[in-house]
Amino acid sequence: MGVLDGLFGWAFLVPLFPVLAFVIVGLLGPRLKSLEWGGWVAVAFAFLAMVTGIVIGVGEMLSPGRYTDTSFTWFTLGASGGSGTFPNGFSLVMGTLVDPISALMLLVVNVVGFLVMLYSIEYMHHDRGLPRYYAELSLFLAAMNGLVLSDNLFEFFLFWELVGVCSYFLIGFYYEKPSAASAAKEAVLVTRIGDVLVLLGIVLYFATSATSGGGAGWAASGFKFAAGNGPFLGAAVGSAQSTTLTIAGLMMLGGAAGKSAQFPLHVWLPDAMEGPTTVSALIHAATMVAAGVYLLAVVSLFLGFTPEDRLAIVAIGGFTTFFAATMATVHRDIKRVVAYSTISQLGYMVLAVGAGFTMVGLFHLFTHAFFKALLFLAAGAVIHAVGTQDLFRMGGLRKAMPITSTAFLIGALSLSGIPPFAGFFSKDDVLGSVYSQTAAHPLYWPFLILAYAAVFLTAYYIFRAWFLAFSGPAPRDPTLPDAHEGSWVMTLPLVVLSALAVGAGFLVFVPGFAHLFLAPTAAVGLAANLPPVYGTTEILLSVLSVGLGVAGLGTAAYLWGNGRTVTLADDSAVQPVRKLLLNRYYFKVGYDWIGQRGVYTVARVGDFLDRFVIDGAVRGMERLFARLSDGMRRLQTGVVSDYAAYVVSGVVAFLLLLLFVAPWIVTAWGG
Amino acid sequence: MTSLVPLDLLALSAALLGIGLFGILTRRNFILLLISIEIAMNAAILNFVIFGALSGGPGGVSGSAIAVVLVGLAATEVAVGLAIVLALNRLRGSINVAESATLRL
Repeated sequence: MGVLDGLFGWAFLVPLFPVLAFVIVGLLGPRLKSLEWGGWVAVAFAFLAMVTGIVIGVGEMLSPGRYTDTSFTWFTLGASGGSGTFPNGFSLVMGTLVDPISALMLLVVNVVGFLVMLYSIEYMHHDRGLPRYYAELSLFLAAMNGLVLSDNLFEFFLFWELVGVCSYFLIGFYYEKPSAASAAKEAVLVTRIGDVLVLLGIVLYFATSATSGGGAGWAASGFKFAAGNGPFLGAAVGSAQSTTLTIAGLMMLGGAAGKSAQFPLHVWLPDAMEGPTTVSALIHAATMVAAGVYLLAVVSLFLGFTPEDRLAIVAIGGFTTFFAATMATVHRDIKRVVAYSTISQLGYMVLAVGAGFTMVGLFHLFTHAFFKALLFLAAGAVIHAVGTQDLFRMGGLRKAMPITSTAFLIGALSLSGIPPFAGFFSKDDVLGSVYSQTAAHPLYWPFLILAYAAVFLTAYYIFRAWFLAFSGPAPRDPTLPDAHEGSWVMTLPLVVLSALAVGAGFLVFVPGFAHLFLAPTAAVGLAANLPPVYGTTEILLSVLSVGLGVAGLGTAAYLWGNGRTVTLADDSAVQPVRKLLLNRYYFKVGYDWIGQRGVYTVARVGDFLDRFVIDGAVRGMERLFARLSDGMRRLQTGVVSDYAAYVVSGVVAFLLLLLFVAPWIVTAWGG
Repeated sequence: MTSLVPLDLLALSAALLGIGLFGILTRRNFILLLISIEIAMNAAILNFVIFGALSGGPGGVSGSAIAVVLVGLAATEVAVGLAIVLALNRLRGSINVAESATLRL
């Protein structure tokens, strides 16, 4: 397969194309004849990246379990032939690693990326910031491709930060709006907590593995992901390093929680909806937020987690699925509902990865990217048509927007896990896989139950949104403008993503496709579990989850179907719960309180120290010398007699010195 | 030449210096200040004569010779000083040194 070696060596082209688009649109965009030209340039390069990505994906499917690493040494610390921990020095490398999971991610990122860019041509056409939008989106696409192709943890971290900064730019795209500017700041501050934890985790892994067996070579090679090594840290479980490794794993979980908006760092994602809907579809649904899950997957495959880490990951993921789904049930803003849904679905992925089913988690990531991008783009089409995000002003849009309505419906069915849509396969696989571990790990039970409960809520909230927006005779707010379907630029991505949301699940039965889910070593074993194996228990579990989904759908149809609106009485017993959910469990208030009271108090203490202790010392010196020189100045009276007095006293003092002190010194020092 | 007790003479010289210094430090009148300087200077001239006489020989003559030169020098110094007094009086209408504490008007 020499051809593939050559082909995979060119994998760097995938991030390179969007970088070119970034440079061209970023530098020349505002000077082009029409602002949309820049958009088409970016779309063209995204198309090239997608084609390259698909070629690589197909190549990987054709050669199962292939690892192609193309890298160069960035720099080396320490000479070879030395002694100590790194006898051959410690080097950092930069390069691309084409392996099954990065090929999978390339497919997801570039297909969704291209479709979103195409869609944006019409969605954003009114905006004067179009060149900036396309430049930033291209940069994001490049960074995301770089992240999935990284062949070592250090390079991974660089791109990890780069996608974060692109997310910041694009959330704050409408920076003249205070709420958008503050949402961008919030996103960057909250994910920063995770980023710092990731860096600390890398350092801990480095410190631990460099001193224990097995990891030294890994550390010396610059944290390189290598096939065949497997999760070498597993060997250290139970040893003296076990605690440190657990802490390092928890830090990675913290980083993933920041990026993937898991509890308790979930607060930024709903606010990130201040950015354009297209950005939400690409970055905050399909790709960047999945980077946290991808990080967990990579660590799980190449480094390994301790059992304590796994329990923590399962707990965070399982709890988040339910926690976020509850909040999605009450919100009025169509984008926020879908945003909470994203948090909840990311929870499923984290749950699967935590339970050891890395590939199952990535499979859910794969299908979720398509149906969630579809939901966002359909929501965007609605927002574009009626100019509001408030579900309670919409209604009856099915007639005016049949394609969008069907697309949203397909996305909703897929999200709810109704067979045969894509979401059914992956979500069912997640739940079944985690169930298979409950016998060995009884502590997984509560989180599995929460995840099942979330299936019901998921179907309920997404169909509540669909019924509110599309069913019924007419919009609830008659002042809404007449809705209309967008041009092919907007509908084509909806159609393609609908097809993927329907068909992506069946891909597991295509033999080559499973090659994208091959773990680097056989030792990972249960990581694969694809395609799902169906025994009696699994079928019963499937019936349970589908039943919950249908029940949720039915509840939504009963409450909100055909233009109905449920209004709760003010003294209803449910009212406090609703208020709690609308206020997002007061997490934002709490974090603001921490920020205002905690951080601000620390800042004020720092301010006090700076102003009064450090500045005080400087000012004190200054004042001391000012006093001294003021005193000296007073000696300069200008009166001749005074000067004469000084001279006389000087002479007298000198004489006294000569007469009394000098002989004493001579005696004392034995002159 | 040994009939005089040098210590007495030196004490006289020291007393002259003390009186002169006292005058310099306490007087505000410029003319009195000049007189005090002359007294202090006489202490120095006296010392030349005393030590010259003590050393005897040519040294004694040279001590007296320097004393004569210094008397002349003191006279010129007083002349300059009195000239300053006149200029000061014309400029400020006063010869009180405490009142002319600045170098310019």
